[in-house]
Amino acid sequence: MSETLEQQPIDKHTQQFLQQAAATPFDFHSISVKAAGDERLKRAVNNAVMRQYTGRQLRLAELPDSDRLRTLAGDIKQHTLDHLDYYLEQFAANVERNGGHVHFASTADDARRIILDIAARSNCTRIIKSKSMASEEIHLAHVLEHAGIDVVETDLGEFIVQIGKDRPSHIVAPIIHKDKASIAQLFSEYFGTPYNDDPEALTRQARNYLRDKFRRADLGMTGGNFIIAETGQICVVENEGNARQSLTTPRVLISLVGIEKMIPRLADLSVMLKLLARSATGQHMTVYTSIFSGPRREDEGDGPQEFHVVLMDNGRSEILADEEYRETLRCIRCGACLNACPVYRKIGGHAYGAVYCGPIGALITPLFQGLGNFKDLPQASSLCGACYEACPVKINIPQHLINLRRDITRQKLNGRIERAVYRLWARGLQSPLLYHALSRLQKWDLRRRARKSGGWIRTMPAIAAGWTQIRDMPAPGAKSFHQLWRKRKRSAHAREEHSH
Amino acid sequence: MHEKSTVIENVRRALGRVEPLASPPVPPSIDEPITRLVSSDIGLPELFAKMAEQNKIGLDRVTVDQLGTKLAAYLKAKGCDRVALPNSPLLNQLGLLESLRAAGLDARRWDQITLDELYDFDAGITDVYAAVAETGSLVIRASKDHGRSLSLVPPIHVAIVEPRNFLPDLIDLFDKLAIDSCGSNTVIITGPSKTSDIEMNLVTGVHGPTTVQVFLLV
Repeated sequence: MSETLEQQPIDKHTQQFLQQAAATPFDFHSISVKAAGDERLKRAVNNAVMRQYTGRQLRLAELPDSDRLRTLAGDIKQHTLDHLDYYLEQFAANVERNGGHVHFASTADDARRIILDIAARSNCTRIIKSKSMASEEIHLAHVLEHAGIDVVETDLGEFIVQIGKDRPSHIVAPIIHKDKASIAQLFSEYFGTPYNDDPEALTRQARNYLRDKFRRADLGMTGGNFIIAETGQICVVENEGNARQSLTTPRVLISLVGIEKMIPRLADLSVMLKLLARSATGQHMTVYTSIFSGPRREDEGDGPQEFHVVLMDNGRSEILADEEYRETLRCIRCGACLNACPVYRKIGGHAYGAVYCGPIGALITPLFQGLGNFKDLPQASSLCGACYEACPVKINIPQHLINLRRDITRQKLNGRIERAVYRLWARGLQSPLLYHALSRLQKWDLRRRARKSGGWIRTMPAIAAGWTQIRDMPAPGAKSFHQLWRKRKRSAHAREEHSH
Repeated sequence: MHEKSTVIENVRRALGRVEPLASPPVPPSIDEPITRLVSSDIGLPELFAKMAEQNKIGLDRVTVDQLGTKLAAYLKAKGCDRVALPNSPLLNQLGLLESLRAAGLDARRWDQITLDELYDFDAGITDVYAAVAETGSLVIRASKDHGRSLSLVPPIHVAIVEPRNFLPDLIDLFDKLAIDSCGSNTVIITGPSKTSDIEMNLVTGVHGPTTVQVFLLV
């Protein structure tokens, strides 16, 4: 049985933080221009993603038929989404059979309250948290901190994010945007120790600090890469061992997962695991794959005594309701589309202004948080299709980005001037007369501009200014293609006449 | 109860249904030819050894008679003093506790120390539930003999692997686990703990063991 929980009010500071985050207008243009100009950022991001990207390609070649395996993985996830109500019931029943507690959270707020409530009722004050996108989505670490709980992010990257009051910029490698000098500086300030930028030394320093936290924690938190309906198990993959610590030492364990993480059977893991690590980091397996269910059994010497799963909806059922966009919920958060994306490589993850970045972020952020708030994101793509090619569950990201652009127009979310221009364009294309008049006018104007600046067009007015902001354009020829074509046909005709 | 019905109702409505499904849905079948990487039982120890090396897992082949001496020598060479062992039938039968003590190591049975004490141990010894040749992985399933912590908390993890532990492919592992059940916790270990978070520099030894060593009984 899942339990009814007393609703706890959220801390005032947390509320403020969350409201601020929600209220800040998102301006993709200015932030991405700034990011693209940051040489250090570009170098750091490029170095990291290229390594993961080439690693992925080499590793996928080990599979007998990676393309068909990706189709199968996509089919399994799609089937699960299409029958998610059934699998949720099955999963919940099995978790309870294994001695765990299941909590359903409709919103981010519900999830935060449920977790705070479990911590309060079991008198837990020291939380070790392993990396999870679901917890990022609801800013859980901040909420727990503000509730006066000693919470520590234990994944090395997330730990650096936490002590630097930073934001993750990659789904798999959260501090891809940081170089070792800035991390060394941060550690030196945080721990009050001499500056040392050796990655081994930095890692050892974090290890020693966190080991003490592991030892004394009373509550562990994980996410879930997969949740298995037929057994009520959760599967978590990682390289560092901090998630294993979360589910070994503390007496209470909470796993927060999005409802879309479901797979029907334990056996499906063989398909998913063979694709996940290969796609994410170019490994054939991550170092640790933990499959767990419920608290420790009576005769076992370690593991949690209390186990809770929080199943979070938070907008997922709305996406599920849209048959067109439903497949976007197949995502297994491997980050392969980020690594493949020429836009992500230039601007990094922060420019996307949300927890999920890169192509998948450009797609699901507007779906989760409203197209009106993030109408620039579907444009943050060259539609080259590299993300679709990289996706282990074959989400057709470019097609969905086009669909979102269509929705922007349908819902009239684009600017009035832009709409007027496109209306005019449409009218122009429908009438040959108008088309010729307009193109002649345009040609005259462009050639006039080019004459003033040595044959190149360097500036254009109003909304067209963006085109010439960072590049010049050659002047159009004296005659348009139509004119040349007509002339050619005429002279050919004349020659034919002549030869007869 | 209320939240449960709300979320599931919302999902059901989103999928265009009013009533629960009348019969269980049938998921796509797992196409073995495109999923399986290792289909033969021949040469599994060799394949495992090759993959383990890639994963930076050390491997020593020993006979049952040699194990006690070789293990003690290995641990001493690594500077270990305090060593924890599970109360497992295999390790008891091999008399490891006694031979390690005879070699002068402070060897303790895992069920006679606390989890907190284990943080001060130098090495944990385990047997395994399975060893997957495809990936070079060790599989450990929590039971009353084996905790989750022995292969996690001490900086050195030594696994004793028997020839009968080998499985060709992950598919075979999940088949076996489907029959035996995963218990409260099953972990697939594919190397020492590591991170590449700082500028993609690989650092071995983060929150789990820095060293994973296999003694393969031949």
